[in-house]
Amino acid sequence: MTFRTGVIVGFCALLGLMWIIESGAADVFLEATRPDFQKIPLGVVGIDAVGGPESPEGRAKLGSRIEEVLKADVRRSLVFSLVDLSTLGIKAGGRGGEPDPSFKQAAENGVSVIVWGKAGMKTDTKTSDVSMDGYVYDAGSDEVVGGKRYAGSTSVIRLMAHRFADELVFRYTGEPGIARTKIAYVSQQGSGREIFVMDYDGFESRQITADGFLNLMPHWSPDRRFLVFTAYRNRNTQEIDMIELATGKRWTLVSQGGLNITPALSPDGHALAYSSSHEGNAELYRLDTRTKAVQRLTTNPGGDLSPSWSPSGRELVFASDRSGGPQLFLMSADGTNVRRLTFDGDYNAAPTWSPRGNWIAYVCRTHKKEYKLCLISPDGQKRVQLTTGHGVDDSPSWSPDGRHLVFSSTADGKSQIYMINADGKDLERITFTGTHNSAPTWSPAS
Amino acid sequence: MRRHGLPRRDFLEGIDVNHPPLYVRGDILQEGIIPMKKLTASYLPLILGLLVAVTPACSKKAVQSGGDAQTLHGEMGKSGTAREGAGGGGGGVSPNFPDTAFSGRDGSNSLRGLDRDPSEERLSGDVGGNGGSGGNGGAGSSGNKLMAKSDPAAAARQLAEIRAEQVASTAAGLRDVFFGYDSFSITDEGRHALTSNAEWMKSNPNTQLKIEGHCDERGTSAYNLVLGEKRAKAVRNYLVELGVVPDHLSVVSYGKERPFCTEHAESCYSQNRRGHLVVRTGK
Repeated sequence: MTFRTGVIVGFCALLGLMWIIESGAADVFLEATRPDFQKIPLGVVGIDAVGGPESPEGRAKLGSRIEEVLKADVRRSLVFSLVDLSTLGIKAGGRGGEPDPSFKQAAENGVSVIVWGKAGMKTDTKTSDVSMDGYVYDAGSDEVVGGKRYAGSTSVIRLMAHRFADELVFRYTGEPGIARTKIAYVSQQGSGREIFVMDYDGFESRQITADGFLNLMPHWSPDRRFLVFTAYRNRNTQEIDMIELATGKRWTLVSQGGLNITPALSPDGHALAYSSSHEGNAELYRLDTRTKAVQRLTTNPGGDLSPSWSPSGRELVFASDRSGGPQLFLMSADGTNVRRLTFDGDYNAAPTWSPRGNWIAYVCRTHKKEYKLCLISPDGQKRVQLTTGHGVDDSPSWSPDGRHLVFSSTADGKSQIYMINADGKDLERITFTGTHNSAPTWSPAS
Repeated sequence: MRRHGLPRRDFLEGIDVNHPPLYVRGDILQEGIIPMKKLTASYLPLILGLLVAVTPACSKKAVQSGGDAQTLHGEMGKSGTAREGAGGGGGGVSPNFPDTAFSGRDGSNSLRGLDRDPSEERLSGDVGGNGGSGGNGGAGSSGNKLMAKSDPAAAARQLAEIRAEQVASTAAGLRDVFFGYDSFSITDEGRHALTSNAEWMKSNPNTQLKIEGHCDERGTSAYNLVLGEKRAKAVRNYLVELGVVPDHLSVVSYGKERPFCTEHAESCYSQNRRGHLVVRTGK
């Protein structure tokens, strides 16, 4: 028997060795943001003011507001590089969207796409409606390839810019863009912590819950209709709730006693993975959202938590302290094939699988005992530390295009929400008010 | 981007005989990270052969190991059951909530593409759908609709109940238990505090006590909820050892979400790493 076990171990080790030798080719990975990726040079000529409001200042403000949002979206898309057209003597095209002769000169200077538009209050309606026209000139075909016309109330001015930016990304990549995505998060309100939702750029925040106690760790449904989160409605027990954003309707999904934390819906929405301690210590469970049947996924004396689905829904990464401090583990979605992923450091937690599948972001404790963001490839072959400096970084969450992460950090004192590119560049703070903003999760694209 | 390969030694240490790396390989293939062509034809028969030969044995080993874990868990489970009884369970999994299955993107919100002669698209703010807005969240903006179906008195009621519990707990003279960094073991000082708390419980046998587990701000929100529960359970278990009726005790973890103080300094951290005992006054 002992001999047989030895043979088995030998075979397993041999296979492992083969695997190491074979997968040495790291070039099979696509970088989350490839360093060799050539961004498309795009210039925004401007959004002209037409029609109302009556005052010239009001007109200029409307156009420049849209322009400002559009430029920020274009920059954050990481698909385009924003060209400063002011040095090239470029003028906006005609009112009907005709290209200006100066565009050709810009094209010779390397500009691939030129965007301009006009916006103003609609004069033909009694309500204060805004209309916006946007035009796109493509240097390759030397023509205006198309445009958009939007209308709506003054409350959707930013959305007009976001939608136009996403159309640009869609035109050049076939992907929907992230300018209309949302971020759900937790914010301190009085003595309670409530769920909020804001635009991906930190604007237009809206309160979703108002329980006056703790609501934690929101997570989106794949169709963006629902949020699942941990609630303490009676202060003494935890439950996993779901809220429908359009209606505010709320359900309690799981209230099993003990911890009911870190809920995550699978990419197809058919399963909810979560951690509960109702059978003793924190274990992972899987709730079938159609049959409502519960399957236990882990059986272990350590605490298992923070499940995150692979994009295919076939695997989960999670945190577990079964071997001492928390470390990341992988397993199949049915709880089999458990294996440890992280070995660097004594504290690795809060994993989240990139929507492109090639990275897992998580919180790592550095040798200076600082809690920072790290990335690891799912085969464990590549690992990078993404953030540095002081402050506790927590709750990383990927943008649906896999190019950005949003996370919370106490780097500036109070916990606030930040965005960073997957290559560690362009750190940007996106919340500025309140005493505590945390647990951001990025919505899927629409 | 800098590349960090795991040192080979570390990796070999990480191979668990219960979980053959064969599976690792299989999953990578499933995830489509390594293209099939990377598997050279010469390797394929060998790997397939080994798969057939080794998998059942490896699986068996895994099952045996799982059995051990099950036993250990059984012991853990026993210590957990006392809490269940006291926690006023009765919960479970709801049979009534809508199907969350993903049925494709919402067509009405999807992008329509650029058009040479664009027709007007009317946009409206809707947080659940394509989004947009309802004011910019600032003061005085119109149409900033609160999505929450809130009971306006909820926050006030919570606050009143918390105050009532604080008053009762202060009157009882219950003492908090403090923990070391990353630790949930009870110190000598903690044992003294709990001895005095247990005496009070025995002379007030009709009281329900809630043990709150708290953590300092370091570490992740999620893992601190697990750590907070471990602290609360350590306090509960010691009180039971001292003769307190388990049914009179319940535990709840607040992780790092309800700190006593918010300074980024050890003097504050040490106050936040605590088991806090509260006399339950409501239900």
